Amino acid sequence: MPRPSLRSTSNRKVKRTTPGGKRVVHYTGRKGRAASCSVCKKPLHGAPKGTTCTFRNLTKSQKRPERPFGGTLCSSCMRREVKSRKLDKFGY
Amino acid sequence: MDFMEIGRVCLKTAGREAGKYCVIVNTVDKDFVLVTGPRAVTQVKRRKCNVRHLEPLPLKVEIKGDASDSDVLKELEKGGILEKLRLSKPSAEDIKRSEERRAVAEERKKAEEAMPKAEARKEVAAKPKKESKPKEPKSEKAAAKPKAAKPKKAAAEKQAE
Repeated sequence: MPRPSLRSTSNRKVKRTTPGGKRVVHYTGRKGRAASCSVCKKPLHGAPKGTTCTFRNLTKSQKRPERPFGGTLCSSCMRREVKSRKLDKFGY
Repeated sequence: MDFMEIGRVCLKTAGREAGKYCVIVNTVDKDFVLVTGPRAVTQVKRRKCNVRHLEPLPLKVEIKGDASDSDVLKELEKGGILEKLRLSKPSAEDIKRSEERRAVAEERKKAEEAMPKAEARKEVAAKPKKESKPKEPKSEKAAAKPKAAKPKKAAAEKQAE
């Protein structure tokens, strides 16, 4: 059993082989995943990668770009979305 | 047929004002146009915009080049465009406020441009720092702190000995 401080789901279990040939489990911290566009899955700019504790100290504008759908859609998908929503009533 | 003409109503498709309507007020380049909401109506500021970030609409307004925001607003109302785009006419207070803001911003810009940057930095550094009231209690506290620390340090030294 690992020591109590490691028995947490916030730690990842990684199986490793030691130089002596033994198989052991290492407990490492989890890393946050980078943001990607919800439509085209491209990596997003302006949305930093990190854990909850790094985000806590950032201001709102440091975590996403200042535009509609910032932090959710990439710029090209956002433009397409804006056009399709607003130009409907003009018959485009 | 050039759609990016003075008076053309457009939709902004990029940037922080994406999804908002604006009116072309003047042409700067073959790539850039001067655009305004007006701000009291659509929250689009009066500034330069790349033609690629605009989508022209089949709506046009008759204004002269470099028309002021209030003129543009009058023409938008006349043409019934505010109703078509489901925008509400701003109150007189809003219009006044946005014009005041613009005047202040323009003055600030002119003052900055008139002064070259190195001189501006020297002026800021040379200005005497204002003495503000809240500093007095702070200085008292700061004066009190080392006094409080000294006896503790003295006590610690005595204990160590």
